[in-house]
Amino acid sequence: MKKLLSLIVASVVMCAALLTGCAGAEGSDSNGGSSSDGDFIVGAIYINSQNDTAGYTYAHHQGITKAMEALGLSTESNLKIIDNVPEDDEQVRTAIEQLAGQGCNIIFGISFGYLNAFAEAAEEYPEIVFCHATGYLSNDTNFNNYFGRIYQARYLAGIAAGYKSLEIGNNNIGYVSAWGTEYAETCSGINAFALGAIAVNPDAVVHVNQISTWGDQELERQAAEVLISSYGCGVIAQHCDSAQPQIVAQEQGVFGCGYNSDMASDAPDAHLTAPVWNWNVFYQLAMETAMNEDSASDFISNIGGNYYGGLTEGMVDISPLTANNAPEAAEAIELARDLMVSGQWDVFSGTALVFSGDAGSVSVEQVPAALMDNEGNEIVAAGGASVDDGVIQGSMNYYVEGVIAES
Amino acid sequence: MNRFHLIRRSDVSIWKKLLYYLIGIVFSLLLGGVFLKSLGINPLRYYRDMATIGLIGNYYPAKSVEGLLKLFVPLLITSLALSLSFKMRFWNIGGEGEFITGAIFAAIVAFKLGDSLPGPVVILLMCIAAFISAGVIGFLTAHLRVRFNTNETLVTLMINYIMLYIIKYIGETKADWNFFLRTDSERPMFAKFPDAAIMKGIKIGSFNLLYSVIIALLIAVVVYIYLRSTKHGYEVAVVGDSVNTAKYSGINVYFITVRTVFLSAAMIGLAGAFTAASSGTISTDITNNVGWTGVIVAWLSKLSTPVICIVSLLISVLQYGCQAASASYSQIDHNFADLMQGIFLFAILAADFAVNFKVVRTGSKKDA
Repeated sequence: MKKLLSLIVASVVMCAALLTGCAGAEGSDSNGGSSSDGDFIVGAIYINSQNDTAGYTYAHHQGITKAMEALGLSTESNLKIIDNVPEDDEQVRTAIEQLAGQGCNIIFGISFGYLNAFAEAAEEYPEIVFCHATGYLSNDTNFNNYFGRIYQARYLAGIAAGYKSLEIGNNNIGYVSAWGTEYAETCSGINAFALGAIAVNPDAVVHVNQISTWGDQELERQAAEVLISSYGCGVIAQHCDSAQPQIVAQEQGVFGCGYNSDMASDAPDAHLTAPVWNWNVFYQLAMETAMNEDSASDFISNIGGNYYGGLTEGMVDISPLTANNAPEAAEAIELARDLMVSGQWDVFSGTALVFSGDAGSVSVEQVPAALMDNEGNEIVAAGGASVDDGVIQGSMNYYVEGVIAES
Repeated sequence: MNRFHLIRRSDVSIWKKLLYYLIGIVFSLLLGGVFLKSLGINPLRYYRDMATIGLIGNYYPAKSVEGLLKLFVPLLITSLALSLSFKMRFWNIGGEGEFITGAIFAAIVAFKLGDSLPGPVVILLMCIAAFISAGVIGFLTAHLRVRFNTNETLVTLMINYIMLYIIKYIGETKADWNFFLRTDSERPMFAKFPDAAIMKGIKIGSFNLLYSVIIALLIAVVVYIYLRSTKHGYEVAVVGDSVNTAKYSGINVYFITVRTVFLSAAMIGLAGAFTAASSGTISTDITNNVGWTGVIVAWLSKLSTPVICIVSLLISVLQYGCQAASASYSQIDHNFADLMQGIFLFAILAADFAVNFKVVRTGSKKDA
């Protein structure tokens, strides 16, 4: 009993010490749950944690905090986050209700499966702006969706891979993909990458190894190993979450293009370049729009509906080219980028780019050429307009010529 | 050489028990406080937000209470159901699988009949479908155990994974037969139920009291009476104590086992139907881990029905409160909330151990 008593006394003393310590800090505490009226509060719902050090949620969190800093908002007191929310309507709804209860003026949801809950919440909370990434639902007042033309960046990465394949004399390019033609997001990325590679190496073949899941590092690794050992690929591109395919490329002495973030540090001798997102471009625009309007119901008319920024807006880009690249890559990528930024040309059109010349004198030519799928069907007639709508609205479900689905 | 062994205590007063639990809770609060402080967060404020489930300064307090109840109802029903089979020493850890089974069958009814029948009828049919389908799973595991002496822990555990992969398959496969999915989405995604299949509630001001809350509390009362004052409850207790005694006294062990596990699984299926009906759809994360948390609740409560009600409410407050509190601090993520819950449960289980056992040292020379 004595021991017990001393235990209690000890814990009470510790408690008291902690309490007084906190009371002292109270005055200077800036992390409070509430903030003064008139402050603009940003809410975010993440599929993973904001404390991640790489990957999808990380990229979005970087975007949101960068945008808030640019607008002079505190990322401590003005940002409310519910993280690790699975794609379950009830749990997303609960997360939205908690953020609404905390007084958020704008709520971002970053995962596709949040779709239903966001559409409903937009009706239920007309005074809050809702923005949903990668979805397809929206309304006319306070709810839009946002995504980017990452396929443009993938085309540029494809150019880098194409030149590398010429340099090493191996036309087999591997592509580890979470999904294939099921999702326009993955499918359009594969197609754009292949078109970029073929523009510089007409004999290039893109072998797609699909693992049919997101976020499985082990499968991502194995898929890259199979591409190298069974299909003899000399460049490994990827549309999956981790840097494993690049690490495998490094280990096996081949080259690779990462995704989402600059993976040069993961695979210093292998990495060429990675298509990357600059989510802050949209986040800043959305926050600015919402901050400057009188009513959340004006959001859609002010921001101009759904948002699909590309190279022009700076929403997508490629990471700096490493020294592993073939000498012609940088110039060719600049030429292609200029054509897309200026709006003169887009990837999924009936016009192909053809690059020629050595380093120092690379030139590009626009050649009318039908866009064909890999079963011989014509998607766009020669000279026809771009079908990038198919990417944005999610209807692209075919591979272009030069792509082989291996699994 | 010193030896230690454990002796079960039987004479611990209720006050002393409470004191032990209190120490456990204070200890976990302090430990959590140290973590919070090291992250630069005021622990008192965090705990205040947690205990009040973020109601202070909340713009929509009614929504927070509704959110809490949505966690509470499935956890309560699942814990009650598990206590039923645990009482018989049938280790049903297939709560997750039974929950998903119920939800899937409720969804089938919702999609197939939701447009043609009036609301209450559809929801009643959803509940019946869930009750029977999950019950059949329970029946099969009980049958295997009594007839073939299989290990029910393993069998029910496997059920979880089978059902999880089935719901994943349904959720990720676009096909003509798959009426579970949205037709306008290129990516596979579960569709919303027709309006009639979505559970309504009683409006009290801005607060919406779902019928499932009332039914869950009624179930608690029924389970209490069932286990305490009916012949069935007695039979369950006898089979749990000793199968041989039960056989000797003429109890049909096969029938009692099968009946009890059927009920246990069926109730968990019902919880699945309630969750599906209130959320208006299903998902691969629909269980919110109640099949596992329910085991902890039933165990912490020593299978006592009134205590299960209290403990499942406390755990729901802990879960909802952690999320509500962490929303205010951008550096606190779900992993921290999980850590806090872990510390709490661990401390309480440790207190529980201290209440029930004492460590006695037996010096081999002195006592042997």
